[in-house]
Amino acid sequence: MLELIYNNLFYIFGFFAICGGVGLVSSKHPINSAFSFIVSLFALAGLYAILSAKMLFAMQIIVYAGAIMVLIIFVIMFLNVKDKDLLQEPHKKKLLFSASVVVSPIVLFVSSIYISDNPKNVSDDFGSIKEIGKELFLDWVLPFELISILLLVSMIGAVVIAKSKD
Amino acid sequence: MVDINHYIMLSIILFAIGIVGVVARRNIFIIFMSIELMLNSANLLFIAFSKHLVDMSGQVISMMVMGVAAAEASIGLAIVILVYRYKQSFDIDLFNILKGDKK
Repeated sequence: MLELIYNNLFYIFGFFAICGGVGLVSSKHPINSAFSFIVSLFALAGLYAILSAKMLFAMQIIVYAGAIMVLIIFVIMFLNVKDKDLLQEPHKKKLLFSASVVVSPIVLFVSSIYISDNPKNVSDDFGSIKEIGKELFLDWVLPFELISILLLVSMIGAVVIAKSKD
Repeated sequence: MVDINHYIMLSIILFAIGIVGVVARRNIFIIFMSIELMLNSANLLFIAFSKHLVDMSGQVISMMVMGVAAAEASIGLAIVILVYRYKQSFDIDLFNILKGDKK
């Protein structure tokens, strides 16, 4: 019974993730795309929870669906995008269809990869904040520091770009 | 039974949707969010393999990807606002002005 629910959870979350993605690429107004994308992000957070990545589940909701998407929606609303401001895309459906046709062989090719499964039971600590923290600060210290420099540079860059007036 | 192959399939489908969004649309916000969707599909694959191999390095790399996505969002939206101030449009073709003046 539990196994049945577990299986169906993957399909439910996968369905919502794909529906959110399709809504993202096909809606006309960017605000509709943004809300579709939030559905997709929450579904992905659920998939991370199934994969016992507890820390990433929380980070996906707080950082992605919280911070980044709020920033994007804030900018869309700040610029007050109206329907008449949107550029006309008369061939949108044709383009979406032909792009889907072009990328579908890649999807089929990658889907044909088969990796034999070896179901291992992971311990309860797997993916918890403490274990991730150990991994992060023992084996991945240098990339962590580089990410901090990247964030500092991007913060200074955003301020410089926003202040330039000429 | 859901195994790693299902996650690979879902991840590549999401990545393909992101590619379609980048190629077929011309609104800068939608292209921007399609790129984020591609980053997310890569994250999903990293975490699926982290469970498959019982190794938490994949989850740490996913956190790094989230940091890069945050940096990208801040800089990208600053550029979008700046271009909108000059051109009053969201057309991706207008971003040619980032090349600078030809003199």
